[in-house]
Formats: sequence, structure tokens, C-alpha cells
Amino acid sequence: MNCLEKDALGPSQAILVVGMRMKALSKLEWLKFVDRLVNDSGMEIIGVKAKGESFVFDRLKSADELRLDHDVTILPPKKVFLPVTEDLMTYDLKGQVRGERTIDDRKRVLIGVHPYDVIAIEQMDEIYLGSNIDEHYASRRLNTLIIASDIINVSERSFAASLGTHVTDSGYDLLVTDIGDTVVVDVGTKEGRALLKKYGSARDASKKEADTVKCWRSDLPTWFARRAKLPSSEWKRVLDENHDHPIWDENSKKCLTCGTCTTVCPTCYCYDVDDKTDLNLKEGKRQRTWDGCLLREFTLVGSGEIFREGVKERYRHRFYRKGAYLPDRKGFVACVGCGRCAYQCLPDIADPSEVMNSLASYNLHKTVEHPVPSVEHPEIMEDLLIPEPATIVRKQKMTELETLYVVRLDSGKELGHAPGQFVQVSLYGIGEAPISISSAPGGKEFELLVRRIGDVTGAMEKLKEGDKIGVRGPYGRGFDPKEMQGKNMLFISGGCGLAPMRSLIDYTMGHRKDFKDVWILYGCKEPAAILFSKDLKQWADVDNVKVLTTVDKCPDGQCWDGNIGVITTLIPKVAFDPMRTIAVIVGPPVMYKFVIRDLKSRGMPDENIIVSLERRMKCGVGKCGHCQMNGIYCCIEGPVFKYSEVKNIPEAF
Amino acid sequence: MKARVAIFDFASCEGCELQIVNLEEKLLDLIDIVDVVSFREAMKEHSNDYDIALIEGSIMRPMDEERIKKIRERAKVLIAIGACACLGGVNKLRNEWPVEEVKKEVYGDALLEGNKFFDVFPTKAVDEVVKVDFYIPGCPIDRNEFAKVITAVALGRKPRLPSYPVCVECKKRENICVFELGQFCLGPITRAGCNAICTSFQDGCEGCRGFLDDAKMDAQKDVLRKYGVTVDQMMKKFNFYNYRKGVL
Ligand SMILES: Cc1cc2nc3c(=O)[nH]c(=O)nc-3n(C[C@H](O)[C@H](O)[C@H](O)COP(=O)(O)OP(=O)(O)OC[C@H]3O[C@@H](n4cnc5c(N)ncnc54)[C@H](O)[C@@H]3O)c2cc1C
Ligand code: SF4
Ligand code: SF4
Ligand code: FES
Repeated sequence: MNCLEKDALGPSQAILVVGMRMKALSKLEWLKFVDRLVNDSGMEIIGVKAKGESFVFDRLKSADELRLDHDVTILPPKKVFLPVTEDLMTYDLKGQVRGERTIDDRKRVLIGVHPYDVIAIEQMDEIYLGSNIDEHYASRRLNTLIIASDIINVSERSFAASLGTHVTDSGYDLLVTDIGDTVVVDVGTKEGRALLKKYGSARDASKKEADTVKCWRSDLPTWFARRAKLPSSEWKRVLDENHDHPIWDENSKKCLTCGTCTTVCPTCYCYDVDDKTDLNLKEGKRQRTWDGCLLREFTLVGSGEIFREGVKERYRHRFYRKGAYLPDRKGFVACVGCGRCAYQCLPDIADPSEVMNSLASYNLHKTVEHPVPSVEHPEIMEDLLIPEPATIVRKQKMTELETLYVVRLDSGKELGHAPGQFVQVSLYGIGEAPISISSAPGGKEFELLVRRIGDVTGAMEKLKEGDKIGVRGPYGRGFDPKEMQGKNMLFISGGCGLAPMRSLIDYTMGHRKDFKDVWILYGCKEPAAILFSKDLKQWADVDNVKVLTTVDKCPDGQCWDGNIGVITTLIPKVAFDPMRTIAVIVGPPVMYKFVIRDLKSRGMPDENIIVSLERRMKCGVGKCGHCQMNGIYCCIEGPVFKYSEVKNIPEAF
Repeated sequence: MKARVAIFDFASCEGCELQIVNLEEKLLDLIDIVDVVSFREAMKEHSNDYDIALIEGSIMRPMDEERIKKIRERAKVLIAIGACACLGGVNKLRNEWPVEEVKKEVYGDALLEGNKFFDVFPTKAVDEVVKVDFYIPGCPIDRNEFAKVITAVALGRKPRLPSYPVCVECKKRENICVFELGQFCLGPITRAGCNAICTSFQDGCEGCRGFLDDAKMDAQKDVLRKYGVTVDQMMKKFNFYNYRKGVL
């Protein structure tokens, strides 16, 4: 008995409901409709076209280029909303240095999007439009109508049916099904209906036509050769149980780290940003381009450290991101079963269905939980990626490598930051760098302490008082001084870590009555590298504040009569009550482990330990993906964390 | 003050220098931001007073070695351009045979004794003789990458080459992988930056930009084997631009 016969046995409510919005066009009328869109609508019409034996989304010149029988396209349609490379802004390096946002608001129609890709676009929307709306994405997305199409030919590596993504009932303006002589159209939105009315002559679909579509959809799963045995709701559990499964080792040995799997994926959204200056050095463009977590330098920071360097860790991260982290954050598995990665990975190790199937049949391994701390992030609506002009009011060299900049926004507005937050500092033609705000909240001026380490920080040092920079922010979750009230404060910092710490220390000094005893422990490589020595002296003069400093060594020619040794040698010198003290730690990555170990051995509970972590950051607003520590976005959930929130995050320390 | 740039050629086909000449209207921008003080391909004048030296070609003879060392002494920044300078390139293929045999094969019985022009040793890349600050790889170099490196130097940025393989750019251009077309390709181990020019014309990557520092050679060999490439074919392909860098 085929599907049509089955349905003939009794009326189905679903068909009746669906039937009301079902329209139909003859093949000829359908082609006319597409041609009218191409020729008369003034919009850009992008559809599926053949490229050799494969298919791609590309601009249509006429209806007969359109292929509704495609199995899958090489790249997903996300390229229309988040182009492979796009301009974020143009900048001008002559005279008054400034940047100007570029926005693409061209009206478009996208034809031939398969249901799994429609679902992937809905997921992308969640990332780019859900919070911290990305204007560049939004402008393209909201100006595009989607004409989805049911799958007619199933791609050999797709496993969409087992995830239920072979069909969809949302996310499109029109959904067409090619049933031979007729194209049946399911109207999804008012805009879709208007488009069809204006450029096509559709009639209501007959019950038989509607039934044929329904049957086609219900038979479709039998055409899939591949399937994920685990329902997607189980992926997270199985991944959590198999963090140390041998498959990560075995497969990553075969991995080329070519990035193909992330490049062709419809749900991968990470990007990199670079300033492209014209050879005339007069103007340029800030561009973003697709990036991927499989690539080695994805987590590289200025100091040369790469936070996720091993191929195994990178390879594994991709599966966890899809199957565990995004389900945690957003409630969906970030794989729609299109099979693109499986098909295009040369060693054939990228197929999520195969990897999940292997894990499913083997779960003896220890469970690693990756909880995401819940934080309310502030909404940042306008000009998300466009810096505000600001001026360097004063500049003071602190050490050989570090300079303090006093900055004021040209708008005259206060920055409005909390202690521990950061800004993205922009130098046009060079790039952006995340820098902590080292002054206490309040006032029209704020301070940045910058260590010369690479391009942006190096170029900044050459700027003079009165020169312009760009500023985005403040970003991130800072310290919460209210939560610390009534406690003793133990500040432990190393090197540059004193910069973000200073904003909180100054706050504490300004609200001295709200806190009990204060200890400030600060360590540096050598006496000449000590930052904020004036502040350190001032703080030491305040009642019940004790400042202890140490240096790793004192080279010949420098003088020092204080402690010599690493920062942990200062901890035994303070008598604190671990239950009534909050410890705040900021320093170079190596420092955390040792300091935390010593505090815990003194009986300090995890909730009382607060850290600020550094990662590579390109956007600062939870989009570009670079700052991820397992499932956590350091830029929005951090950089400040309670130790209890991150102690089980393998990539945090 | 504008930086003074000199361009020198060693053993090469001068194709890279031609790429610079071919910058067309951008060439005017180039001479707007730097002073080109020596460029045999495009001008008669020559000066020994320069900040940036661009080196094309491989080092083949003692006299080349002397010359490149002098250039290094004078230049603040030395940039190797093209596969011959960066890798030794195709010129290294002759290192497969003893120098004497090569000379005999090429020059026959001509009188070579005492003639310093024919006094060759096994081919070297520039960085096998002097320190190289930056590289602009490729055979020939990519004009846009050339402009990018020069712009970076002029702006005080560190010129960075992509640290990922050609496949990234190839996929971004939505190419059909040449393995699907029955060819084979070194794209997965070769440094990107060419915008996948060869594979975009359905030609497998030859590795002219050099292999990545962390190229996954074993994985690449597995893939080649899977697609039926013989060890002999692999060796030939690996050696073409990256002599002895892909030894099996
Ligand atoms: C939350 C946060 C706060 C910070 N606060 C300070 C501060 O107060 N003072 C200070 O001197 N430094 C601070 N840093 C480090 C600073 O951001 C880097 O040193 C800087 O980005 C280096 O940029 P560059 O162009 O000079 O170096 P390059 O090495 O030329 O940069 C290369 C690329 O890597 C990226 N990158 C390099 N290092 C980092 C990094 N650590 N974090 C994120 N992206 C990076 C840059 O965006 C750039 O694209 C902070 C970093 C973070 C994440
Ligand atoms: S899993 Fe496959 S596609 Fe992904 S990086 Fe490794 S080799 Fe490339
Ligand atoms: S053609 Fe070459 S560069 Fe392109 S994806 Fe295939 S292997 Fe990579
Ligand atoms: S997501 Fe871009 S910096 Fe965090």
C-alpha cells in the first residue's frame, strides 16, 4: 500500500489544514513566475544552479538555470546572509581618521533552499538576531524572501531524515514541491503570498496535489541511505559521557585540519576580522571572513599561546559545539544532517552521524559536564561592530612595554562601565584589540593600560595625545562589587593583570566602608616591570589595606628590597579567614592553577574565588566564536567568572 | 620619509618581477608610498642605498652567495619573493644529481674551468644563506598578496601569511574538489594565500607556496593512497616545488 492509498482510508486533519494555504502552478507558470522575478522585480534572485556535476546557490539570469532537483549545494545558503567575505566598514586614513559602516540592504529572493538549510538559517538567526543583533547580517536577512523547496533527490551522505530536518513547517516565505507537471506551493508568510500574487498566477492546489506532497514528504525518509541512530536530544548526553573516547584520537590522526568541514557547514558561524588597506595607504575596508575552529590559529593570542592547539582537541571541539554546547546554550543540535562535511572531507572522518553512531554503541567513559553560567548580557543594538570615535587625552609611559592611555569618547558620553569590563580598541588599518578598562567606573575619561605585544598594541604606542582611536564597548561581564560587600578582599595579580584589577581596587577604595580588610598581592617579572607603583603606594596608606609585592628576580642594575619569588610566595604572608574573604585573581594563564591550589589548601571555598580570563577575541559580542572555552563564551559570559562556574570547564585553565 | 625599496633577481624566470610590473594602476600607488631605487626589470638606475630588499630567485653559485650577503648587510628588511627564493623551487630539482653530472649534461664539453658564471653548487633557498624577514611565496607571486605585504610593512604591521591550507580558500570559492574530478592535489598541506587559483581552474595544487609548518603529511599521504596515487607519483608531486620536503 503506498502513501496515497493509506491516506485514502480516512480524511486527515493535517492535510485539510495544510491544504488551505496550498497553491499550485503548472510547470510553465512556475517558470514564468521565476522569470518575472528575475526580470521585473528589481530584486536579486538567487537560486540553485548546476556547477559541473554539483550545485551552487548563485544569481539567476533566467528560470531555466534554476534546479529544483538538486541533492545538495557545495556551500550552504548562509553565504547569502553571512557572505564568505564581507565589508563591515570603510575607513579613511587621511586627515581626520574615521570609519563608516557599510550595509547591504539589497532586496533578494532565495530559491531552492532545502528544509535542512531552512532550519540551519533559523539557527543562524538565533545567533545573529537572537541577542546583540548583528546589523550586517540583519540587513541581508530581513531583506530576503526565502522560497524553500522540498527535497526531490537525496544527497548520498545526507542523514537529515533521522534528525527530522528533511521537512519543515517554518522559516520560509514559500515552500515549493516539484511533483512533475505541477509545482505545489505552500504559503508560509504574508510576504510570500504577496510575492506569489504579484508575479505568479497560482490557483488553489487540489486535494490530490496536496496529498501527493504530503505523501512525498512522508515517504522521503526511505530514500535516505544514511541515518544517525541517536535522536538529536540524546547527543549531548552521549558526548558528555564520551569525552575521552578513543575515536577522538583515532580520527584526528587522519585529519588534515583543512577546515573543509566547518567551511561547508550551514550552522558554523565563526568569523575572523581583518583591515585591508589599499596600497595607496589612504583608505581601506574592515572585512570579516569565515573562520573555523579546526584551523590552528583560531585561538592564538598575542603572547603566542594557542588555547586549543592539539588536532584532537580541535577535531573534538567541532562535535561538542554541535552536539553539546549549542544544545546547552540554545536548545538545538547544531547539525541539520545535510551531509556536506561528510561528502567533502577527504579522509572521511567528519560525518557527525558516523561519529555519533560509534559513540552511541560505546559509553563507558567518564562524564564531563560543561555547564554554562547563566548571565544576563546587556543588549547592544546599534552599530554593533562599528567603533565610536574617541580621543587619547593623556598618555603616560609606565614601563618599557606598558603605556597608560586616558581616553574620552568624542560624543562626550560616559563609557558607563563596570569594573572588570573591557573595550575593543580600534586602530583603522591595523585592527582591533580587547583591552580592559583599568579605571574605576564614572567620569567622562577612562584609562587603558596597554602592553606592546603586536600590531594594534604596537601602533597604539606610536599615537600622540590628541590622536583618535575607535572604541567599542564596554563589553563582557565585569566584577560584581555588590556581591563582595561586607567581605575581606584578597586581590592577587601578576604582570598586566593589575590593569583590570585596578578598576575594582579603586572602586573598593572609593567605597571603603562596604568592605572589611583588604590585601593586595602583586607579582612581576622584575622591579622595572612593576605597574601602577604610585597607586600601590597610595593603596598601602589606606586603613586596613595591606600591599605586598614580589618580583621573580632582580637583574643587575635594578634595585629591590622586597620579596623575591613567584606570586604564591606571598600567600602565606596573609592571615585571612577563608570563609569571609573574596579572592580575586587576574594574571597570566600559568598563574591561576598555582594560586587557586594554594587558596584551596587554606580552605577557601570555590564560590569565594573570582578570576578574569583572557582569550582571543575578535567581536567581543558573542558572534565570532574565537573566545570559546568549551561551551562558554569568554567575551559575554566572562571575562570575569566565579571559580565555581569554570572549574569543571576543561579548556578554562 | 618614504622607504627605499630595491628589487634583485637571482636564479629565476623573473616572472615574479613581472607580476610587480603588472600591478598596473596599483604600481603608481606603490611608487607613491615607497621609492623604488633599483629594479632591473623596470628601470635603468640603480642605487645601493635602500631599506627594503626584495629578492627573487634561488642561490646557485658562490658569487650569488657573496651578492646576497652584501644585500643583507645593506637592507633593514629583506623579503624573499616567489618559490625560487622562498623554497628553492623548481631550481632544486637539479639537486637530485651530482653537480658535475648536471654541468656536463647542460653545458656539454664547453670550457667551464675558471668561469665563475658556471661555478654552481646545489641550489639553495635564500634563507639557507641569509636571514629572511618576510616571505611572499608562490610561483609566480600573487599581486594582491604582494600589495598586502608592502602595505603592512608601510603601516608598521607584521605581514602575516595564512597559516591554513589552500582547501580553505578553495572551499570558500565553492570549487568542486579536484579529487572528485580524478586529479590529485596538494591543497590540504600547502599554505593558502593564492586564493586557490589552480584548483579554481580544475588543476590540482602543486604546492608552489610551500607546505604549512604543521602540514599533516601522514594524513595527506593516506588520502593520496586512498585515491590511487602511487608512491612514485607522490614523490614527483611533492618534490616539484618542495624538494625533499615530503619524503616518504
Ligand atoms: C578581555 C581581555 C582583556 C585584555 N586586557 C588587556 C589590557 O588591559 N592590556 C593589555 O595590554 N592587553 C590586554 N589584553 C590582551 C590584548 O587584547 C592583546 O595583547 C592584543 O589583542 C594583542 O593585539 P595586537 O594586535 O597588538 O597583537 P597581534 O599579535 O599582532 O594580534 C594578532 C591577532 O590576534 C588577536 N589577539 C592577539 N592576542 C589576543 C588576546 N590576548 N586576546 C584576544 N585577541 C588577541 C588580535 O585580535 C589580532 O587579530 C586583553 C585581552 C582580553 C581578551
Ligand atoms: S575533519 Fe575532515 S574536513 Fe574537517 S578539517 Fe579534518 S580533514 Fe578537513
Ligand atoms: S581541490 Fe585541492 S585545495 Fe581544493 S578542496 Fe580539494 S584538495 Fe583542497
Ligand atoms: S564570540 Fe567573538 S570574542 Fe567572543
